[in-house]
Amino acid sequence: MTVSLSIDSISAHYGKTAVLQELSLSVAPGELVSLLGSSGCGKTTTLRLVAGFLQPTSGTIKLGDRDLTTLPAHARDIGLVFQNYALFPHLTVLENVAFGLKQRRMATRERQQKAATMLERVGLSGLGDRFPSALSGGQKQRVALARALVIVPPLLMFDEPLSNLDAKLRIDMRVEIRQLQRANGTTSLYVTHDQEEAFSISDRVAIMNAGRIMQLDTPETLYRKPANSFVARFVGFENLLPLRVLEREGAFVTAEAGGGARITLSQDDFGPIPDDFVLGCRADGLSVRRQGNGLPAILGTRTYLGRAYQYQCETSAGAIVANGALSEPMAAGSSAVLAPMPEQCCVLHPEK
Amino acid sequence: MTRTVHPALIAFTALVFLFLLAPLVIIIGAAFSDTTYLTFPPQGLTLHWFSNIFQIEAFRTTAITSLQLAFLGTALSLLIGIPAAYAISRYRVELPRWLSTLFVLPILVPEIVFGFSLMKSITIGLGLPLFPSLLIGHALLVLPYSVRVVSASLASFDFSIEEAAISLGCPPLKTFLTVVLPNIRAGVIAAFILAFITSINDVSVSVFLTGPGISTLPIQILAHMEQFFDPTIASVSVLLMLVTVAVMAIVEATLGLTFLTK
Amino acid sequence: MKQLMKWGLATPAILAVTLFLLIPVIITIAATFGEPKGVFSPYVAFFSSGFRRTVLFRTIEVSLVTTAISLIIGFIATYVIAQMPGRAKSVMIIAAVFPLLTGVVVRSFAWLIILGKNGILNTILMSIGVISEPLSMLYTEGSVIVAMVYLFVPLMILTLVGVLEGIPQDLIQAATSLGATPAATFRQVILPLATPGLIVGAVLVFTGSFTSYATPQLLGGEKQMMMGTFLYQRAMVTFDWVGASTIAAIMVVVTIGIVAIMSRLARRLNPMAV
Repeated sequence: MTVSLSIDSISAHYGKTAVLQELSLSVAPGELVSLLGSSGCGKTTTLRLVAGFLQPTSGTIKLGDRDLTTLPAHARDIGLVFQNYALFPHLTVLENVAFGLKQRRMATRERQQKAATMLERVGLSGLGDRFPSALSGGQKQRVALARALVIVPPLLMFDEPLSNLDAKLRIDMRVEIRQLQRANGTTSLYVTHDQEEAFSISDRVAIMNAGRIMQLDTPETLYRKPANSFVARFVGFENLLPLRVLEREGAFVTAEAGGGARITLSQDDFGPIPDDFVLGCRADGLSVRRQGNGLPAILGTRTYLGRAYQYQCETSAGAIVANGALSEPMAAGSSAVLAPMPEQCCVLHPEK
Repeated sequence: MTRTVHPALIAFTALVFLFLLAPLVIIIGAAFSDTTYLTFPPQGLTLHWFSNIFQIEAFRTTAITSLQLAFLGTALSLLIGIPAAYAISRYRVELPRWLSTLFVLPILVPEIVFGFSLMKSITIGLGLPLFPSLLIGHALLVLPYSVRVVSASLASFDFSIEEAAISLGCPPLKTFLTVVLPNIRAGVIAAFILAFITSINDVSVSVFLTGPGISTLPIQILAHMEQFFDPTIASVSVLLMLVTVAVMAIVEATLGLTFLTK
Repeated sequence: MKQLMKWGLATPAILAVTLFLLIPVIITIAATFGEPKGVFSPYVAFFSSGFRRTVLFRTIEVSLVTTAISLIIGFIATYVIAQMPGRAKSVMIIAAVFPLLTGVVVRSFAWLIILGKNGILNTILMSIGVISEPLSMLYTEGSVIVAMVYLFVPLMILTLVGVLEGIPQDLIQAATSLGATPAATFRQVILPLATPGLIVGAVLVFTGSFTSYATPQLLGGEKQMMMGTFLYQRAMVTFDWVGASTIAAIMVVVTIGIVAIMSRLARRLNPMAV
């Protein structure tokens, strides 16, 4: 049975300071939504509110039909996977996995069998009698996973579960986690600061900052069409150019950047363009040409990226980073024209 | 974030705190009582018993002796304890493990056995006068604090700054004094305080090493109690408590008291 | 040269402990084996004397009871303290530990005021009509135990605070998320993980009260002689130095024996040891 999670206008305060402000979020049944952001953005706070370790100052949390908001933490029936694994050092691996079943008063033999089966599913059969201190990081994380899964919770939550593992293991484990989650169809909330991780395994991602969700969308949408400057910078748009429209002619819009430089863009390619806007361009999204339509620039330091050259450019609108083709290296000091390419650019409203 | 605790447990804990703090309050109150016997609540208020302390010569001299022993004993223990702590922290792998146990022996061996043995072998056996014997006793009694607390501070000390200083031309002793010591200041101060307070309050070691002309304040209080069970004892106790509070106030000012809870 | 430096730093301390503690204590103990009546004669004399056996057993009994009571009181209080929010917790810890710093004499003598014939407890009990005559509470085993518990509860709390803080918060959260009520979390997670620390605390209190002098002297006097006061009496009143040394030797054996056994037990029970 899969249920949806709805977080409705949740606020949390630490003393007088607001840590979360009227945050709303819903996770569809069977969906995996990631909360992504750097430390302090409120993602862990949100998780702890849903888990019941923190009380909201306003708002509600509902899991399916159940209102969790006033329910004590131990009654919420949520599977949690912790960053530091939180395995009980005084219990064997099997006893660890069976712990939740024991709290649900399952008979000893039955719970041991279920725990053993789950250990097999995560690839740890035979390790049931070991103690957590004898396991590697990856093995510990699998035990933590098994322990959360075996109670068949309606909601799974992950608190940066892979950040203590090395890079290769992280990639392998995230795939496994996603596969297990998909196989069970469990609604899941995943907290991480690793963009690649969030994008690779989530159905949708909420990028958070200062207690607010800046954008909640599929990874593809976030990557290509960020909704605001914060998200644009977050997903790697190196350049944000404020522009003002001077003329419109049919679909064509001529806009002026600071310093007087002009660009002409087509709304057929870039979508609707308001009178005041910010053009977000990836370094890959600015083609470097000797002449033509685009932003005039003087090329500065050139670095070799392997797949392209990267130029630090000086324009009348400020410093711009642009990637140029390997086939056409250009010398520092030469003048060029930077032409924005629609697929790697986005049009944003200016922030107040 | 407070987790829910059963109110019965909280009530019990409140009682425990009452149990811990009430007797001290009682002593403070009794110290001001205008009666010749110890009673609480105090009947009438007077400072007479406080001034009485300074009028009784035995209290005056033993207070001075106790302070001398505390300062000198603590200083001595730090003098030999800090290098020892440094040695076991820095050269942990190369020195035998029983070394740390050796420095903790004064805690393992019963104080009263230590005092008795010291008296027997050193004071009487070697003929060492009482004050030096007491000094040795106190210095060794508090040595474990000097070693352990400073070691704990050194455990979080980054020895590579020492190496940096030496590579920049600073000779070892100067490096120790100007680079290491200032950075373990907190540990040294904590050790000093714990040692000082332990020494000032000691009975079990000192009781064998007192004689005509030399005694410590706590032992003098015990002696006084046998003859006069009056509020002077309470006021001396209050004075001792004030010394402790003063010492802790200094800690709070320099380090913050929460340091001691580590 | 480096070798010399390492040892050189520790040498003064090593010398001090060896010359003034280790050797004198060894001499004290060794002296008991050189009696003309026989190698073990002082010990035979000790254990054949009803009075001396009583002193020993009384000391053991008082120490055990003190330890048990201090454990229970201390653990409950520490558990509650550990749940308190940051600042309140620090204040409570300081308040609980402060008595430790006021010294044995002050803390023991307070109970003379409370338990004496004209003391506070008697006054209160008489004024509310529970008794008509003042109770004689001093110089009993009970008064010694009360004063000892008062002495050692702060030490127990200090020890246990470290133990409880050493249990990672996320273990508690994991147990809660898996459905464990606070009581179940306490029984199945906190208690097992705190046990090694509890053992350490118990050992500290037991050995402390077993070797105590000032408190039994004040609250027990001659009627409730304990090993500490007995040693003093033998040494400084009757000048029976062999007798005193025998008592000293027994104290050392009991203390070090218990510390050694219990440390090993605590280490073996410690699941969080690397």
